[in-house]
This record gives sequence, structure tokens and C-alpha cells, in this order.
Amino acid sequence: MATILSKINWFGFVGGALTILMIVVSMFYPWWQLTVGDDLIKINASPVNTNFGFLDASFTIPFIWALNVIGLLTLLLSGVAMLIYSVMPTKSFAKPLLDFGYKKPLFTFLFFVIGLVAVTMILQAILDFNLPLMGSATNTLPIPFASGVTISVFLSAGFQWSFWLAVVAATLCIAARLYHKKVATTQQPAVTTATVPSTTTAS
Amino acid sequence: MDKIRLVLTVITIAIIVIPLVGTLLANQGNLLGLFVPPEINEFADDLIGGDDGPGLEPPTIVGEPHYDEESQTFSVSFEYKNSFPMDITIESLTGNIKCAAHRFPLGNASLSEPVSIDAGETGTLTVLGAWTDDAISHFGSAHGNQENVDVVLVDFAVDISGIQLQLDQGQMEQEMQVPNPAYQG
Repeated sequence: MATILSKINWFGFVGGALTILMIVVSMFYPWWQLTVGDDLIKINASPVNTNFGFLDASFTIPFIWALNVIGLLTLLLSGVAMLIYSVMPTKSFAKPLLDFGYKKPLFTFLFFVIGLVAVTMILQAILDFNLPLMGSATNTLPIPFASGVTISVFLSAGFQWSFWLAVVAATLCIAARLYHKKVATTQQPAVTTATVPSTTTAS
Repeated sequence: MDKIRLVLTVITIAIIVIPLVGTLLANQGNLLGLFVPPEINEFADDLIGGDDGPGLEPPTIVGEPHYDEESQTFSVSFEYKNSFPMDITIESLTGNIKCAAHRFPLGNASLSEPVSIDAGETGTLTVLGAWTDDAISHFGSAHGNQENVDVVLVDFAVDISGIQLQLDQGQMEQEMQVPNPAYQG
């Protein structure tokens, strides 16, 4: 039993399990949430589920929905690959599975953060609208059709606990890659080399 | 091993391409719909008074304005129909009061307390105002023989459920009659 357990890449196993747990959690708890006014508008964003809530109504933008499907499938396959790899790290198919799985949680995380930062920068540059990534701010809405009316809104935003769960999952998957060498080396079967005496033949 | 890598690469490409192409094909007749779903347009129409939307209805005065000589304050009640498709809370409402005939600044007014109005329902807003000393002088000198004076509430600032609307000068004026605090009749 101890031998079987020692064969497992535990970083990969926990990283893969956390990645799958993160997918389930992210369906219900967003990574980042923006609230406008007194809960008048709510934006819940994560790489697997993003929706825009207006009181009781909820909207999904088709393009973002497609990105969410990509995020969900990518993370799911990554988690499964990491789990399979981590219980059989010395098999011939293990290394390709690890290479396939370990980077994806990190890339998904980076893609999400870069996307959020890009959206805030674009809004700031084009509409002079300051969207906070964390914390709160009062902003004036740039509404062209409402000339003569200034509409100010109170915005409050922040990263939720599921975001930090994603950070842990991505870190563990990277750790699994770094730990792989050790697991693979210790599990290498002993190779015996035999010296074959050389024979020379005179022609 | 190379076969496994190839299969995994193909899977990676497929899970990126299939959702994107599928969404693109589903919205090929309306590419804008990729980024702006029709529900948002319908909702915006409801809010700003599009084709059949309700728009913003001005409040109507109910009853007579009351004036308290001691504190030089008055109160006016308005009825406001919430024509938006959602419950709202009017947290605050402030404005300046001017003489309708001379545009003389008389004082300011504000909502007595926050009012919550359900969608489609009508609520009563009580606005409290205070006259300045200059306003009392103006009422006496320019309107001394009038029991009630026409005034306008201008420069509205309204806070509805955390969203503040500031109407610029001349955008919206609420006319009303107030008792003349310096009536010499």
C-alpha cells in the first residue's frame, strides 16, 4: 500500500482534484463580482460562468458564453488529465498527459485576469469610465442619448474566494510539473547492464 | 507517445474552435447579437421609454403645500408612478427653488425620507423646503399682494437605488404654487 501511495504525484493529484472542484464552485460562485448601485446590476464573472444580473433578470452574452464553454472544457480535461497522470506518473502516457494538463489552469487564470484588466483599460481609454477591479468608486455614466442628464453610479467590485481557489489549483499543477522529475526518477526500474565481450575476427 | 500528444493537441483545438464557430453560426444573421443579446435592448427600451416603453413620468403635486412661519419651511407632497419594470427606492431628492416669474433663487428642497415604490405602483414623496432671508424679502417686495406664488423646482438630483441622476439646468422644471410667507393681504 505504501509503495502504491509513494508512486502518486500528490501535487498533481490534489491540483487535478482542486481544478475539478474549482469548475463546480465557479458555476455558483464567481471569481469576480461587480455591483452597481444598491444591487441594481450585478456582474458575476468566472472563466466557466459569466452572467449579468439586472434585479431578477439575468443575461448572458453569447460570445462570452462561448469563451466560458471553452474555459469549462479546458479546465475539465486538464483536471482529468492531471488526475490520471498523478496516479500513474511513470507510465509512458503520463508525461504527455502532464504536459497537457499542468499549464491550463494557469493559462485560464492569466487569460481571465488579463481580460478583466483589458476591459477596464478599454473602458477608461474610450469612455473615460473608471471600472474598479477591487474596491468601490462613484462614476459618471457616458450616455449619449441622455443629454442634459448626468447619471452617476456607485460601483463596488472584488475578487471572491473562488478566485483564490483557482490560484491554489494553478500553483499545485505547476508544482506537480516541478515534482514530476523526482517521482519519475525514484520510480525508474533498475537497469542492469551486461558487458558483452568483444570479439575480433581477423580477415 | 507522439500519438497521445497528437490526440491531446487535436482535442485542445477542438474545444476552442467548436464553441466559437457554433456561437458564430447561431448568430450569423445578427453578428451584433454575439455581444449584445436582444434581452438587453428590450430592457433598455423599457427603461428609457423606447417604442412602447414607459419612460420617465414627472411627479404630480397632491394636496396643498404647507408652510411653517416659525421655521420658514414648507412641505409639498408629490405622487410618482413607478413606470419602470422594477421596484425602486428613491433614497434622496434635492433641488433649488426659484421664483417662476423672476427666476429669483428662493431656497432649496429635499426629500423628507426615502420612499420605496414597487414596479407599476404609485408612491407619495414629501419634499421639505426652506426659504432664505433674501427669499422672504423677495416674496414681500415682488409678490406682497399674492396669497400663493408660482415657483419652480430646478436642478434636480435624484438618488434611485444607488444611481444618481443629476438634471442639468433647464432640463426639467417642476412647477408648483407655495403659500406666500410675506403675504400682506
